[in-house]
Amino acid sequence: MEISLPTFDFLVVAPEIVVLITALLVMVVDMVIGREQKGRLAWVALVGVLAAGALSYYLWDGSDPALHDMLAADGYALFLNLAILVAAALAILFSLEYTGRVGLAQGEYYTLLLLSTAGMMLMAAAINLMTIFLALEILSISLYVLVGLNRAERRSAEAALKYFVLGAFASGFLLYGMALIYGQAGTTSLAGIRAAVQAGGEPSALLLVGLGLMIAGFGFKVALVPFQMWTPDVYQGAPTSVTAFMSVGAKVAGFAALGRVALYAFGDLQGDWRWVLAVLSALTMTVGNLAALRQANLKRMLAYSSIAHAGYALAGLAAGNAQGTSGLLFYLFAYAFMNAGAFAIIIAAGRFEGATGGGETLDDFAGLAARKPGLAVAMALFMLSLAGVPPLAGFLAKLYVFGAAVRGGLIWLAVFGVVNSVISAYYYLRVVVSMYMREGRPAAVPAPVCAGLQVGVALAAVAIVLLGLWPGPIVDLARVAALALLGG
Amino acid sequence: MDWVADFWIPLIKAVVVVLVLLLGGAYMTWGERKICARFQVRYGPNRAGPFGILQPLADAVKAIFKEEIVPNHVDKIIYVMAPGISFAAVLITFAVIPFGPEVDLFGQRVGLWVGDIEVGLLFLLAIAALGSYGIVLGGWSSNNKYSLLGALRAAAQMISYELILGISLLAVVLLAGSLNLREIVDFQGTWPLLVLQPLGFLIFLIAILAESNRSPFDLPETENELVSGFMTEYGGIKFALYFIAEYTAMVVNSAIVVTIFLGGWKWPALISDLHPLAGVGLFLAKVLFVLFLYVWIRASIPRVRFDKFMRFSWKFMLPLAFVNLLATAAVVAFL
Amino acid sequence: MTVSQVVFILLSIAALGGALGVVFARNLFRAALALVLSFVGVAGFYVLLEAEFLAMVQILVYVGAIAILIIFAIMLSRRMMSSETQPWNEQWVGAVVVAAALFAALVFILSRVDWPATEAQVPADSISQLGQALVSPDFYVLPFEVASVLLLVALVGAVIIAREQ
Repeated sequence: MEISLPTFDFLVVAPEIVVLITALLVMVVDMVIGREQKGRLAWVALVGVLAAGALSYYLWDGSDPALHDMLAADGYALFLNLAILVAAALAILFSLEYTGRVGLAQGEYYTLLLLSTAGMMLMAAAINLMTIFLALEILSISLYVLVGLNRAERRSAEAALKYFVLGAFASGFLLYGMALIYGQAGTTSLAGIRAAVQAGGEPSALLLVGLGLMIAGFGFKVALVPFQMWTPDVYQGAPTSVTAFMSVGAKVAGFAALGRVALYAFGDLQGDWRWVLAVLSALTMTVGNLAALRQANLKRMLAYSSIAHAGYALAGLAAGNAQGTSGLLFYLFAYAFMNAGAFAIIIAAGRFEGATGGGETLDDFAGLAARKPGLAVAMALFMLSLAGVPPLAGFLAKLYVFGAAVRGGLIWLAVFGVVNSVISAYYYLRVVVSMYMREGRPAAVPAPVCAGLQVGVALAAVAIVLLGLWPGPIVDLARVAALALLGG
Repeated sequence: MDWVADFWIPLIKAVVVVLVLLLGGAYMTWGERKICARFQVRYGPNRAGPFGILQPLADAVKAIFKEEIVPNHVDKIIYVMAPGISFAAVLITFAVIPFGPEVDLFGQRVGLWVGDIEVGLLFLLAIAALGSYGIVLGGWSSNNKYSLLGALRAAAQMISYELILGISLLAVVLLAGSLNLREIVDFQGTWPLLVLQPLGFLIFLIAILAESNRSPFDLPETENELVSGFMTEYGGIKFALYFIAEYTAMVVNSAIVVTIFLGGWKWPALISDLHPLAGVGLFLAKVLFVLFLYVWIRASIPRVRFDKFMRFSWKFMLPLAFVNLLATAAVVAFL
Repeated sequence: MTVSQVVFILLSIAALGGALGVVFARNLFRAALALVLSFVGVAGFYVLLEAEFLAMVQILVYVGAIAILIIFAIMLSRRMMSSETQPWNEQWVGAVVVAAALFAALVFILSRVDWPATEAQVPADSISQLGQALVSPDFYVLPFEVASVLLLVALVGAVIIAREQ
């Protein structure tokens, strides 16, 4: 029998392969090293993530290669790869001490973290309904397990179960939508669907219902209202480092696929889906912000805040133009730093509470500025950036997406966004006020903050300042990436 | 519609096959008792007719005239359904097994098989999977801890060994290049697959013993620890159904072994032109030989312990099956 | 009515009836059995569509492995006959309204769709073509490999969850 090795351009999926191999490596190394040395696994994982990041950057030469209608290593994918890898790298830095403190099994933790990262990257690169779904399941299943990894904490198991049940439900919606689209287009390739959309004069009901169901499915994953119910419980129950990772990574991947499906495959039906996304966007930011106002637990507050941010980012997508798309990309990139950074401070604050856990409520943060001025400054930066205060990254990101919305004719949505940002300033500033102006109790455990975490926080803080003051290079990259999707 | 070719011939074939299988199953009980007795230097049944050959008939009459008992605490519908599922699955399995070549009978061209489907091998595995429900349901619906344990064992055993069964068969598919059992027999025109796949044959044999809960792997019904396991609460005709299903399954499984590894109705490269009906005789002879093997194993090898058995499955048999598959694949690819 | 239409209706009854049984059965074990019925019905659809390979794989994987595992889990974790569950909770009114509305909307839209039908014949050697397509770089080798990563993830996850501390 003649065996011919398939001609396969491995370079297209090189970053994903690097992350996958690192995941396997972590699993194998975990088996052979002693119990005291498990901490080193983090460094293996970190090296893999950084290598994948370097590779993604290096691959970006504008040629936009694709693998047979399945995956594309175009600018869009590579840009989002960078955002995802930033989240992964930060999460690894934040986990160095945290995993040991909480008692997470490190080998499994880093393996799943990397596998999930690979799933997110595949999702950003997927140009076929099949690969989108497989990638989504890879990232989701690893996250379900990661969320429930803290065996000592009942809330962790509860969060995992909630996330799993609702996530499986959402996958069902997504799959049903894909099936309907396939039924009309006769292909699962996004290019083929685009052709089918362009062919018919009157848009087929099957395609529209399919797209609607898919939006619902992705809506679950990125926590859009009304599909956001799981978010607070899951973000609160999950180990904090996992929350830091998933609150960014899962959103980036979800928006990546939603963007490809809506802007590329259904680009010619913009009139039909733009208003839906715009309404969802307005709803999402409003509900998220209003609920966040009443939270005393910071993890929960940040969960609602992340819902609100999904709403802001969605505004860029709803704008439906190139500026909105690059705005969305820039938003996700900036969001990776500020949101992960905020969770890192919660991890650090938990360090002073000893074995009891905690360090998550507003009261725990009272007087943090006196005890740990460095952490307090970083936290203040993250909060201000999330609130959208100039000149930080969060401000520019909002400026871009709202500006795109205005240009796309959605002035009301931009107004909604601005009003919401003002509302959100209340609860973000409350944290800052608590840190700087309230008298705090002394730390239960006067322990130093882990060096790795300090580095991570410092990097994130510097990044949001730099992105705010000197956004040029990243904005240019985002513009190129958006053009890769929309065709320039 | 051609009524003769499309309706009557398949119907007659099916009826004949079912009757032969039933008879075979019934006489397997007799054969096993006889052969086991010889292994233990006894006579075995010898009162009902010469050499006791009417014994299965006597057993059947006894089972039929027993009072039908359905215990109060059982899940009645499932309880009654379960033995039927076991039995039906066994009969259906034989549908895809060719027991002879295509022959001219009464002016018609007739293939000596009931169904000739492209995915025959998968069909075998799929129906085997259905068959396990008979035992699992019987054990559950009996509402009795021994029955439940038996059912649990059956389920665990079947899942484990189905995998091994499938992987050992994949090597066969690689060589024969088909999932169709008729074509697999044709492939063995010169040499039976036993010669090409000695390791695969052994793995398959062990796995099919385990899959059909036969000694030494009859752990779901161990009488000394589980008081007959899933069958504890069964009596009368329902018990007889389980019983005959088990023995018919032996016949069917032997036929599967013969078809896949022993060349079915073909001679091993010796005689080319043979009367087609002699092929059927050869097939029967081979089946009888494998059946003897079954009884031989039962008479000589003690029952294994359940935990060791499962460990053996996952840590030894499965890797071995994979090695066999990989080696076969390498040979097919590079030779 | 042709034979295949009759068969289709019977299979639909099995598949949908099984699905309803899964939702409404109070006994978890019976719900699992209803699921098996539904799986078998779907396998029957595949046969009707001349996708024999898929039909067999459906039985092998869903009936022979997945459903057996579900039943296994029920047998290990529930008391035998007393495993009555309450399929309704206090929010059932809202759920029924939402589900019914969604159902009605989908039926309304889907019934007005002009379904694109294909006249293509099922190829004779569909199995070998399927096998080739699965490993061909022009078709599905990438999803095939990605699916194996997915299985790895599920495997690692299952071990972590099931492992004792």
